This record gives sequence, structure tokens and C-alpha cells, in this order.
Amino acid sequence: MEANEILAKAESLRNDLSTGFRDEIVKSLYTEAENIAKRAVKAATDKKYDLDQKIDRLVTSPYTGLPIMLLLLSFVIWLTVSGANVVSNGIAVVLFGIGDYGRALFDQIGMPWWITGFIWDGVYLSLAWVVSVMLPPMMIFFPAFTFLEDLGYLPRVAFNMDWLFKKTGAHGKQSLTMAMGFGCNAAGVIATRVIDSPRERLIAILTNNFVPCNGRFPTLIMLATVFVAASFPPALTSFIAAGTVVGVVLIGVLFTFLASWILSKTLLKGEASAFTLELPPYRRPNISRILYTSIIDRTIFVLWRAMQTAAPAGAIIWILANIHLGDSNLARMIADWLNPFGLLLGLDGVILLAYIIAIPANEIVVPTMMMVYMGAGMMINGPSGNSAIFDLLVNGNGWTMLTAINLMLFALLHNPCATTILTIYKETKSYKWATLSVVMTLGTAFLVTFLTASFARLMGWA
Amino acid sequence: MNMTVWLALTIVLIAAIFIPRMGFLAIYKTYRATRERELVEDALKHLLDREQHGRQASPESLAGTLNLQRGRITRLIEDMETQGLLESRGTNLHLTTQGERWALHVVRAHRLWERYLTDEARMPLGRIHGESERREHSLTEAQLNDLDAALGHPTRDPHGDPIPTREGTLLKTEGMPLTAWQSEDPVRIVHLEDEPALAFEQILAAGLRLGQTIRILDRNPQRILLTDGETEFRLAPAVAANVSVAPLPESEAAKANAIPLAELTYDQRAEIVVLDEAVQGFTRRRFLDLGLTPGTVVYPELQNFFGDPRAYRVRGTLIALRKDQAAQIWVKPV
Amino acid sequence: MTNTKTILPTEHCETCPAFTQLEQMGIKVGDFDRVVALAGNPNTGKSTLFNTLTGLKQHTGNWPGKTVTRAEGGFEFNKMRYKLVDLPGTYSLLSASQDEEVARDFILFGQPSCTIVVCDATSLERNLNLVLQVMEITEHVVVAINLMDEAKRKGLEVDARSLSRDLGVPAIAITARTGDGIHTLLGAVADVIEGNIVTKPLRVHGTPEFQKAVNELVPMIEQMAPGIPNARWLAIRLLDGDARVQKALSTGELGDIVSRQQRADVQFSAKMSVEGRQ
Repeated sequence: MEANEILAKAESLRNDLSTGFRDEIVKSLYTEAENIAKRAVKAATDKKYDLDQKIDRLVTSPYTGLPIMLLLLSFVIWLTVSGANVVSNGIAVVLFGIGDYGRALFDQIGMPWWITGFIWDGVYLSLAWVVSVMLPPMMIFFPAFTFLEDLGYLPRVAFNMDWLFKKTGAHGKQSLTMAMGFGCNAAGVIATRVIDSPRERLIAILTNNFVPCNGRFPTLIMLATVFVAASFPPALTSFIAAGTVVGVVLIGVLFTFLASWILSKTLLKGEASAFTLELPPYRRPNISRILYTSIIDRTIFVLWRAMQTAAPAGAIIWILANIHLGDSNLARMIADWLNPFGLLLGLDGVILLAYIIAIPANEIVVPTMMMVYMGAGMMINGPSGNSAIFDLLVNGNGWTMLTAINLMLFALLHNPCATTILTIYKETKSYKWATLSVVMTLGTAFLVTFLTASFARLMGWA
Repeated sequence: MNMTVWLALTIVLIAAIFIPRMGFLAIYKTYRATRERELVEDALKHLLDREQHGRQASPESLAGTLNLQRGRITRLIEDMETQGLLESRGTNLHLTTQGERWALHVVRAHRLWERYLTDEARMPLGRIHGESERREHSLTEAQLNDLDAALGHPTRDPHGDPIPTREGTLLKTEGMPLTAWQSEDPVRIVHLEDEPALAFEQILAAGLRLGQTIRILDRNPQRILLTDGETEFRLAPAVAANVSVAPLPESEAAKANAIPLAELTYDQRAEIVVLDEAVQGFTRRRFLDLGLTPGTVVYPELQNFFGDPRAYRVRGTLIALRKDQAAQIWVKPV
Repeated sequence: MTNTKTILPTEHCETCPAFTQLEQMGIKVGDFDRVVALAGNPNTGKSTLFNTLTGLKQHTGNWPGKTVTRAEGGFEFNKMRYKLVDLPGTYSLLSASQDEEVARDFILFGQPSCTIVVCDATSLERNLNLVLQVMEITEHVVVAINLMDEAKRKGLEVDARSLSRDLGVPAIAITARTGDGIHTLLGAVADVIEGNIVTKPLRVHGTPEFQKAVNELVPMIEQMAPGIPNARWLAIRLLDGDARVQKALSTGELGDIVSRQQRADVQFSAKMSVEGRQ
């Protein structure tokens, strides 16, 4: 019997069957399943979906659904901001203390200045910064987020938001991928696999970067705490800071919608595809598993990655800062050269230099920036405490409120980190889309910061 | 210095023109060949269409359809004769067996593309014909078979026209023109002719769609008055002739008393009667796999701020569906 | 996260044809004796069961050529080492989505020694749909009724014995979160693989018209590939116009499955007798 004969026979049989035969196959499967289930399952009581249903009616209700969503987001961010603040200072004191000790030890045994400087003021200082700035928020944010994930709340978010996504020509499950993006944009890009339609999946991939990932949260938290919240009474600090970060996140969501809409009107033209989403029953999260996955899988993983890029970045900064040319050094010179462009965007040259060095991982932007500002040997200790940072930035380097706000906007909108770009390439198998993801985000960042800076200057605010 | 620059520029220019496959000349040649092939295929389609409608094709009709000068047409016909695709007998043109095979291939490509654009790309019905015209020339036999399989071997395009099988058999278009239907019994729209485009536009603008059940209320030489039970439609007889109808199949009769799932009120229980014929391909399978099969009892359980999507309880699980999708599932309240 | 110890593949695995095929599909079979696939609907606690069984010994990556996440891990039970492959969570195996294609292809061409289908005890009807589909492809199936604790809380009593009887394959009640019933489940898996339990999977026949068409095709397929275990399912897929199955038929891939299966059977019984003597 030849394969072709069988194929031809199958085709002729198929053409003879009534058109709805595929429906019939599924229908008979389900009918059988129904009968078997009926015989095997007895409902002892009638309180089937009671509690789940009550919760669901609350979290998706027309009146309370969206406010609850916003409240949960604010609460998680507030918890992260206020909790991180407490721990961060402690960790900084200990780590910088170790740095002092190590430096003293090296001096004692007569190491040349450049070895001491390279190791302790370059590599170690940048590592200490990354750990003290990143570890605390991650240790709070990731478990809180995993809790909501395991509980089964995230599909409800997709349910609440789908209409907006549909209007922008995208898929409601994009909100699930955005939620993953809070943790890590590369993870968010991989999570877009839940979207079946290639067009909508591409939109989700390209816009995922507008959600600030955990590497960028510390930057936002620091700026919100040091600049925005500093002028309020201490009792309100954590709320104001959290409120500011929530605001930035919402701006990011806004840009997501805007970019999705523009993409589906231009490069990725098309209509919204089918949307079917299961809202699974709520499950009691397993606390020990949450701690395990969020601390081991996520926190350690992200931190390790950050440290791998922080160490060489610290080394590069130290070298740049210690190659003296006249009475300036290389780092300063590059920063000065970038300065006019930076000022145009309401930032400065040092920030741009930090971003260039931080392309492998956004986490190290703040540490890099700090190190250039401090310069080599000028200030061997990291400024612990918010007032010290404020002092360094404002009085020492001419920062204004505009710089802080524009840096927050820039941190939110600028290009994805190298890992994310690589992930986008792997998922789309196309240089074109990977390039576009960079061009689009960077373009948005430049444009927005330029506009706010110009506007602020025009109004005489800065 | 100047001399060198000029020399370099000239070399670059020559290279840009003559480099195989990437040079301007090569690109132009490819373009010419593609354009020629498109012309041949469009001509074949015209001839097949005429033959199926029992009418004769002539160089004039061909020139009209392809919008070409007489001289160009003569050359085209000569070329096609040499290739053994057509024969001219007197003023009439006829397809050879080989020509018919090729013509069927193009028609198959066109209709499969229409199916794809509707089911998978969800393009509006008004745009698919033009897009398919562009795409129909690009696929090989094997690629077409893959597309066919990926779409689940559809038998009709979104206009209701039959899709030729891979062996090249073409089912007859079912139904009769609306103008020929005399009784007042409800009928189903089985085909909307998409050419001429102007008439098709009017049909769509009136709100008629494939698979719709309608009834003729009144007719006179100026217009035909139709209803789908709610809205009334008016069509000029010339336009109505492009709408083919057939008596209701049994499944459609069931739909008559049903309402779309999207119209159920909160917590109102209903039994699924039938999935609309407009849902095909991947979406239909997804619906069925989720357990949205005829006979299943469902009810809307959750509603969000925007009122869209809603979540329905289906076989013990909450499934969220958008409004336009839920409108394609017909249910009967229980 | 990688668990694969650098032990050279044992001799019979290297030559064992079924295992070479698995290797091609991106799963390294070295120091494992059996391959078990884990199928199930989304949100049924499939990954919880996977974690319970494999612990930290798991490895994640992509299915070859697909953007679908693959997880695999190993466990040992009664001195036999099992490789567990987590298939994507799907409602069905009929659609053309990547997930379903991956799951289906692995059960059909990867030929795991046994497939565990994880079901949610609180919505059995939906889950049994998938069970029935998996049973069409392979008879080496064990059904795991998960989330029994949740079912109890919702006031549902699930009778696993009634399910076993109706389905014709073992159905075991478990609670993956606490580990309840896992031992019984693994016992059933071992029994099915060793042939101590002979399964008689339930077949759904559909409309008479459809059944007639299927019956016309089955003998043709059996004639082309004698001894093929799932001719009926293949016939259904061909009628449906499944491109993947059509291709497998024309390239002779299906014929290979049979010969590989038979050689694997011989390999396996040889191994069992050796172990028996020890």
C-alpha cells in the first residue's frame, strides 16, 4: 500500500463527509467525557464555587476591579520602597566598611596604589553598590509578585485590561507579559509565548521594555526618595516615593498602549485576533515554594547577572577616571564631551556615559554614575544615606528637579539591556525586530526627555 | 585624485547595474518576469471564469478585464499559445488541459489566501479580495498544499465560492441568484460575488454577509426589500443578482430561535445551539477545544469595567471571551 | 541548574533505536532507564507534580525549532531511573497551536514508555477530553487525578475506581502539593510499563458516517505499516487533514516507528531477563 494512495483515499473520504464532521469529533469526545465524569463525581454539597466567586466578583467588578488593581500595585511598590530603605542603608554601611578595611589592609602590606585602587575603588566599590542598591528591593518585590502570580490574580488583570489592549490592536494577555516584565524584561519577552497570534506577540515583545524591570526599579526608587519625597515630612516619605514610582509605572503603561496602537496602525497592521483566556480557580500559594523560586530563581539569578557586569564596569570606570590628561581624566573628558547632548535632554554627560557603560545591564547605571561623580580618590567611601546622595548630586554636580524627573523618564523609556535585546532576537529570529526594539525605545526616550526639558525651560522652571 | 574618484564611481555604478541577482538589471529582469507571469495567470483566470459561466472568452473580453492595449493582448495570446496554455478558435479563446490546470492552481491560491486572511489575519471582508489578488501569484504547488493543510482543508472561500482541491476538482457554486428566488421562505446567503467591486461594496454597505438568513419582504423592478428579522435591507435588482441564496440547511433552522451568547444577561443560563459559520479555522477549533460544543450549558459570570470581555462558566471553568467572539456562538436560554 | 551527570551512556541505550530517536528530539537519554511524559490541561498543578517528582533535578530549555518551553528532570523509583518530560499544558491535541503540536509529536514520535495525564479533580469533564485524545495515540497511559484536597473543599467526591473502569487505564487520586498518592501513581506507571497492568483504552467512535470512513482507512494504514499501534488515530488525523501526519506518512516516518517499537521491545525484554537473573 502506497502512502499516496492512502492520502488520496483520505482526501476523497473527507470530501464526502458532511462539513461539520470536525465539530462532531470534538462533540463526541466531550459527550463521552461528560458521561464518565458524571459517573465518577458526586457533589456532596452545593457550595461549589462560593468563595472564589465572591472574590472574583470583587476583583473584576466594574466599580472595584480597576481600583483594586491599582491599590495592589501601589501596595507592592510601597512595601518595596519602605522595606528596601531600611535594609539598604544597613547593607551599605557593612559593605563600604569592608571596603575601607580592605583598602587599609592593602596599604599596610605595601601594595602599589593602582592595584588597591583598581580592586577596591573600582571593582569592589561597584559590586558593593549593586548589592546594596539592588538586593533589598528585589528580596521584597519578587516574593510579593510571585505570591500574586501563584494565587491566580494575574489572569484577572488580563481580564480587566483586555478591552484597552483590544482598542490598541493588541492582545489582553500582553498584560501578563508586562507583569513578568516588572521582574525582568527578558523574562517578559519569553512570556509572550502565551500569545498565539504572531502579530500581537511581536507588539508585546517590542513594547515590553516600557515596563520598568527590577534592574531599573532601584534607580526609580532612589530618585523618588531622594528628590521627590525629600521635601515632604518624614512620615510621608515612603508614601510619596511609592506614589511617584507608581506614577512612573503608569506613564510606562501609557506608552505601552501608545506604542502598541502606533505599531498596529503602521508596521504591524491588522485586527485584534481571537482572545480566549481561562480564569483558573484561586490556589493557596505555597509560601516556602514562593520564597524558594523568588529568592533562588529570580533574585540570585538577577543579582548574579548584575554583578557579572558590574565588576568589569567598575574596572572600566576606575581606569577611565585614572587616566589623567592634564588636570582632567578620561572619564570626565568623555562626560564633558557628551554634556551638551545630555543637557539638551535635561540630563548631563555623566548620566549618558553611565548609560553607555550600563548597556549590558541597567542595574549598574546608578553605581556607575556615582563613581564618575565621585571621581577617583576624591571620595573613597560611598555616600551612605539619602542626604549624602542629595548633597553629592545637587550641590556637587548641579542636579535639579528636572534632572531627576528626566532621569526617571529616561530610565523608564530607554533601550532594553543587552540580555533583553538578545532574547528578542532569539524569540523573533530576526535582526530587524531586535534593532527596532532598540531604535523605538531609544527614540521615545530621547524625544520625551527633550520635550520635557524644553518645556520646563520654556516655562522657566529649570 | 579626481580621476581615481571618477573611476571608482564608475566601477561601483557598473557593478550596481550588472551584478548577478542583486544588480539593477537583474532586479528589473525578475520584475519583468514576475509581471509577465501575473498577466498570464490573470488571463488564465479570466478564461476559466468565462468557461465556468458557460460564456465565451475573446481577445476583447480579455483586454477589458486585464485593462491592456490591443497590441499587448495579441502578443500575450500568442505567447500563451506557444506555451500550450490556450487555443484560439475563430475569435474565441479556449483553455487547454494544461492551461486549465494552471488556472485552477491560481484560483485555489486566491481562495485559500482569502480564507487565510479572514480566519487567521482577521482582515475585514472588503479588503481580502484585493490582497489575495496580490498574493495569488507567489505560491508553488507544495506551498499551497501546506497552506491548505494549515487552514484545515477548507472547502469554500469566505464568499462561499468553492476552493479547488489539490487534484484540481472544483465543486459547483451552490444556490441561485436572489432575484430568481420566488418563495417567501427564509433563505441563507451562500455566495456574495465580489466582482464588480462596486456592486460588492454596495452589498457589504447594506450589511449583508455570508451565512446570513434572510427573507424577501417585497420586490418591484426598482428594488428588493429583505429582512433578517430585525433590520430591513434594500437592494437594486442588479446588485441583488450578485447575491446567491439557497434553502436553509437543518442546522440553520435551529439558529432561527437562538440568540448570540453575547446577548445573555448576567447569570442567565443557556444551551449552545450552534457555532456561527463565520467562525472557521483556528478560532473554531479553539472554541470547540474549550468545550463550547453544541448542547453545553453556559452562563456569563463575570463582567469588567468596560463590559468587554465577559467571563463565562463553561464545563466548570471560567473562560473569558470578547464580545465579538461571543456574538458568534448561538445559544438558547434554558 | 543542569543535572545531567557526565556518565557515559550505557551500552544498550546507545544502540537502542527508540532512545536514539529521543536524542534527536532534544532529550538526552544517558543514565535513565525509562522516559515518562507528563501531559495535562493548563492550571491542573502539572508543574507542581513535576516539581514534586523531580525536585531540583530539572533542566529547562526550548523544544527544538520551537519557541515552546521544555522542562525535563529525573527521578528514581524502585531502583529504576526515570526521565520525566513536562509537555506544554494544552486543552486538546487537535488544534494547530505550537504547544499542542509539541505535545502531540512527543507522544507520537518520541514514544515515551508511559504518559501521565494530570487532571484537575474539580473540573474532570474538561480534563477527560484530553485524556481520551491521549489514549487514542498510545495505550501506555496513567491518569493522575490531582487537586483532590481542593475537590474535597468544594464538596466533590471523586471515585478514581469508576474512572479506571470507564477509561480502561489506571486512574490514581493524588494531591501533588502534599505528595499524597504519588507512590501509588508511580507504582501504576511502573506496572503499565512492565506490562503488569494491561490497559484497554476507551475509544470514542463518533457518528456512524465518520466511523465508516475511519474503518475504510484503518486497514490501508495497517497494510502499509503492519503492527502500527495507533492506526485508528492516524486514520482520524488523515481524515481531519493533519499536515504533520500526512508528511510522516509520505516520508515513511510512521513505518520507522513500528520497527523501532519492535526492536525496543526486544531490547527491553532482554534487559529484563538479565536483571531477573541477578
